[in-house]
Amino acid sequence: MTLPPRRIHRLLVANRGEIAARVIRTARRMGIQTVAVCSDADTDAPYVALADRVVRLPGVSSAETYLDGAAVIAAARAAGADAIHPGYGFLSENPRFAREVIRHELTWVGPSPEAIESMALKVEAKRIAGAAGVPLAPGCELPESMIDAQLQFACSSVGYPLIIKASAGGGGKGMRVVERAEDLAEAVAAARREAASAFGDSTVFAERYVAGGRHVEVQVVGDAFGTVVHLFERECSIQRRHQKIIEEAPSPGVSPRVRGRLHEAAVALAQQIGYVGAGTVEFMVAGEGDQQEAFFLEMNTRLQVEHPVTEAITGLDLVELQLIVAQGERLPVLQGDIGLNGHAIEARLYAEDPANGYLPATGVIRRFQAPPGIRVDAGVMDGSVITSHYDPMLAKVIAHGSTRTVAAGTLADGLARMSLHAPPTNRDSLVATLRSDAFLSGETTTSFLDHHPEVLDPQPSAEDVDRHARAAARAVIEDERPDALVPPAWRNVPGQPPSVGLRRRGAADAEQVPVGVESVLARDPDGAVVVDVTVGGVMAHCTVARYGDEVFVDDGITSTVWQVEPRFPDHSADAAGHGAVTPVPGTVTAVLVRDGDRVSEGQALVVLEAMKMEHRVLAEAAGTVARVLVEVGQSVDAHALVVELDDDPSDSADA
Amino acid sequence: MAPVLRSRVDTRSDQYAANRAALLAALADIDALYAQVTAGGGTADPDKNARTVARHRSRGKLLPRERIDLLLDRGAPFLELSPLAGWGTDDALGAGLVTGIGRVHGVECVISANDPTVKGGSQSPITVSKALRAMDIARVNRLPLVSLTESGGADLTKQVDVFNPGGASFKNLTRLSAAGIPTITLVFGSSTAGGAYVPGMSDYVVLQKDAARVYLGGPPLVKMAIDEDADEESLGGAEMHARTSGLADYLALDEPDALRIGRDIVAHLGWRKSGPGPTRAATPPVHDPEELLGIASADLRIPFEAREVLARVLDGSEFDEFKPLYGSTLVTGWGHVNGYPVGVLANNGILFSEEAHKGAQFIQLCNRMDVPILFLQNITGFMVGTRYEQGGIIKDGAKLINAVSNCGVPMITLMIGASYGAGNYGMAGRAYDPRFIFSWPNHRIAVMGPKQLAGVLTIVARQKAEAAGQEWDEEAFAPIRDAFEQQVESESTALFATGRLWDDGIIDPRDTRTVLTLALSAVHSAPVTGTDAFGVFRM
Repeated sequence: MTLPPRRIHRLLVANRGEIAARVIRTARRMGIQTVAVCSDADTDAPYVALADRVVRLPGVSSAETYLDGAAVIAAARAAGADAIHPGYGFLSENPRFAREVIRHELTWVGPSPEAIESMALKVEAKRIAGAAGVPLAPGCELPESMIDAQLQFACSSVGYPLIIKASAGGGGKGMRVVERAEDLAEAVAAARREAASAFGDSTVFAERYVAGGRHVEVQVVGDAFGTVVHLFERECSIQRRHQKIIEEAPSPGVSPRVRGRLHEAAVALAQQIGYVGAGTVEFMVAGEGDQQEAFFLEMNTRLQVEHPVTEAITGLDLVELQLIVAQGERLPVLQGDIGLNGHAIEARLYAEDPANGYLPATGVIRRFQAPPGIRVDAGVMDGSVITSHYDPMLAKVIAHGSTRTVAAGTLADGLARMSLHAPPTNRDSLVATLRSDAFLSGETTTSFLDHHPEVLDPQPSAEDVDRHARAAARAVIEDERPDALVPPAWRNVPGQPPSVGLRRRGAADAEQVPVGVESVLARDPDGAVVVDVTVGGVMAHCTVARYGDEVFVDDGITSTVWQVEPRFPDHSADAAGHGAVTPVPGTVTAVLVRDGDRVSEGQALVVLEAMKMEHRVLAEAAGTVARVLVEVGQSVDAHALVVELDDDPSDSADA
Repeated sequence: MAPVLRSRVDTRSDQYAANRAALLAALADIDALYAQVTAGGGTADPDKNARTVARHRSRGKLLPRERIDLLLDRGAPFLELSPLAGWGTDDALGAGLVTGIGRVHGVECVISANDPTVKGGSQSPITVSKALRAMDIARVNRLPLVSLTESGGADLTKQVDVFNPGGASFKNLTRLSAAGIPTITLVFGSSTAGGAYVPGMSDYVVLQKDAARVYLGGPPLVKMAIDEDADEESLGGAEMHARTSGLADYLALDEPDALRIGRDIVAHLGWRKSGPGPTRAATPPVHDPEELLGIASADLRIPFEAREVLARVLDGSEFDEFKPLYGSTLVTGWGHVNGYPVGVLANNGILFSEEAHKGAQFIQLCNRMDVPILFLQNITGFMVGTRYEQGGIIKDGAKLINAVSNCGVPMITLMIGASYGAGNYGMAGRAYDPRFIFSWPNHRIAVMGPKQLAGVLTIVARQKAEAAGQEWDEEAFAPIRDAFEQQVESESTALFATGRLWDDGIIDPRDTRTVLTLALSAVHSAPVTGTDAFGVFRM
């Protein structure tokens, strides 16, 4: 299939966040004008500021905005765009959308609708891959018509543990690992709910779950002249909840024999479906050495989140290649031209709390600054607001080095040195992972975080915490003291040294931190206070930035976050009611109790959907439902009271 | 830029070491007294004091300085005034009252807090004097006054000396209000009888629930007077005053809540200082203020160079000297303290006619320029003797005293050494209403030096004896003379003076710039305006 060359003059990026910014940067370098689309929640996003033209998509939810194909095409026409790049997620693998784009005589930066379609439903994709000689894992389809007994029967042939996946899914959504047959029905129901919500298609299937396997994927690019090249493989084994968090290229754990087979299989599959553009063929690799075997998982017919590691080791710009082949030109490189240089690792920075069940965090990013020497593809900047509307990924941080160890060291150091003044993130967990012996020795399986829970919530040393507390207290005093002409808290009659109530993020209790006089003070060019604090004979330069009651301390190695406690008791807080509060902002998807119900401790009361995930609001103690304050479909803030509970009189009588 | 003062101090000399050792010892003594006064209790018995304070705390109550710490902005300085009032008297050290200047929401306020652990916060004559002095400072410098009240009222054992002056405190409160200076009272406990007029005369009143008691007559007095059985809450409880009498504007739930409300009240005042701010950026002196300890003479018979002091007090050690070649024992000129411009008069020896002329002229110039004046007192007096009397030293001294007495710009006096005789007056001593007056620990003050005074006494006694035709027995008189000299000596010390409120406190010489900065900032809360209305200068 050959199309006449069509030069792209103005490109609409049908996406948001870091990928929109990333596509715009390459387009600009190639002399292509850019158009961004943005929802009401994204008007101040950095990618919007980068684009030459911006079209607003009214609304906030993905369905009303970035998933509304007609609105996106209308935006392209309104802004005079002649091509659409879909990024990843949203409409990127939607064949109907691709078809509409082409029908409106816009250039579609991606594979043909037919190629997308053939790979879109995983059930169908497995059949084609099998036909192309790609090895498959055992599995079965789970149509909605199946009754429980049929589900049990179908899955018994797959064996436990197994994994339920959304046929239309990706990115971990709609996935459930099932260890025992008893849990099957509930997991299938939950996976269907999530799949329906995320993809509008509740079809799920079961597949053998390879615990402790490696997730290895091969990057391919094809042009309209039938050329398909591979750009080596990536390994994305370190995942949380089936969402990749650390990705690297090349794979540290795949044997040379399997590696070659995977490259060949990926190219063969792409050629079989006439693939034009960038795509990724994903495999699960089990076992080590000669025993290693690989199973096909799926093909992603789009640019992957983790594509920068491939760019780092090959020196190629994948978006540039996408745009070249979309214009109908030949690939500028042949397989023999593509070399592999060193090693690259990418870490995904999420606004979430790994120590607290990856609870998504929302709020304002006060400061987001990276040190030089690492690539940062960010969707946020100073002042950005993280909402619960979209994916909580803040940025991808990529380091390239001559060896894997060098790349891991550079990446860990770059992450640690970032000024990341934000709601809770997984930064410390990423750094601990990258510095762990297990990671450095290549022990990167999908069970990594299960085997190494210590990296979830790494704690700085007591001395570092002490230094930071003192630095924070000193900076607070510096910030609040009204008279800079005389020493802080000066007294002619000696008294107690001043102290500041500080509570470390995640800590239950605040401490009164006395303000030492030994600290030396300066201001950095950004207005942050630099306090040199010595504890145990060792001094650290602590940079302290304060935003309202939040204080961030960075010393190059360690970062801590502190809440400045109010000086005076807030008696108005006594007025708050008793009951169950939401852990996160979100939308109520189910109310499980009614007024007057007796509930036991730990019983689920309300189900929320936030960040595309289900959260259950549980009763903290047994009691009686006094009042349900929410209904299905209602949006609620974090820490909102959703169910008022009365103490159970019989329980208190017993006590 | 003004010339930078050069220093000739030899920091390795014996004199320097001796001065430094003596001053550090004096400061250690003062620190021990501070520790005693801040511990509370107010008696000479530390165990009894500890029990009193423990009982106070067991009721969830804070000590006065803790209340002040919470009232002030975090990290704000607090310049405590007359902390050792009552020293050497039969009153409690500190007089059961803490007064000073600090910032609340950025606003400089005078704060006056009873110490309820000292005789229940009751008021002795010195307590009243200290309270009145704080009110004076609030009035002349236009600083809002915040009273943290918990007092058993007048010390009834001293009621004869308290009754009349105590009444002035209520008058002063309303006069502050009349002058547009806000008065705020937070009541944490008793404020009864006359004390009830402290909240009664204030602009804003905060009463603490279940703690404040504000009434003219308590249950026993009411029973005696009108045979009514009344409980404390009905007579003067915080809730009653908040809901019924309307005396309380705000009801606080506990002490921190009261202080929070007090802070909020100050924040809402919209208070602005009426004086100009600093006129240039602050710079530290070139010479180290630490060296002041070795410069200030511990033995005041040994003079020390005033410019060495200025070199460690003024910004950049810069001093624009006026009339440097004339009247050399009085140093005059201009400089800055943390950016605030000041005119300086500093003694460098005894005052002669030339110095009096020079000083009077310089004071008039500062009044023309609207620049505050800093007096550094180290003066043994005006010159005496036939030559000087005939030369008109009285007329000339009068010119200087005239200029000081009628001075319109704020005067701040620092006692860095001797202060004897009329020299005290010519250099803005206590009686001449300087806005602030602080002393170094080596300061001595009297009509004249103890030796001279004893000598004069001896001469007078001998003349009297001889006139009566008695034989003069020098040896028999010696013990009387020595005892008198010792008495004068002990009554001339800095502690004796500060105990009687002759100053606003003794300061560590190394803190001089800080104290002057806070004082200058306070005086700039009021307009800084000079005058040309002086008395007749006798020519």
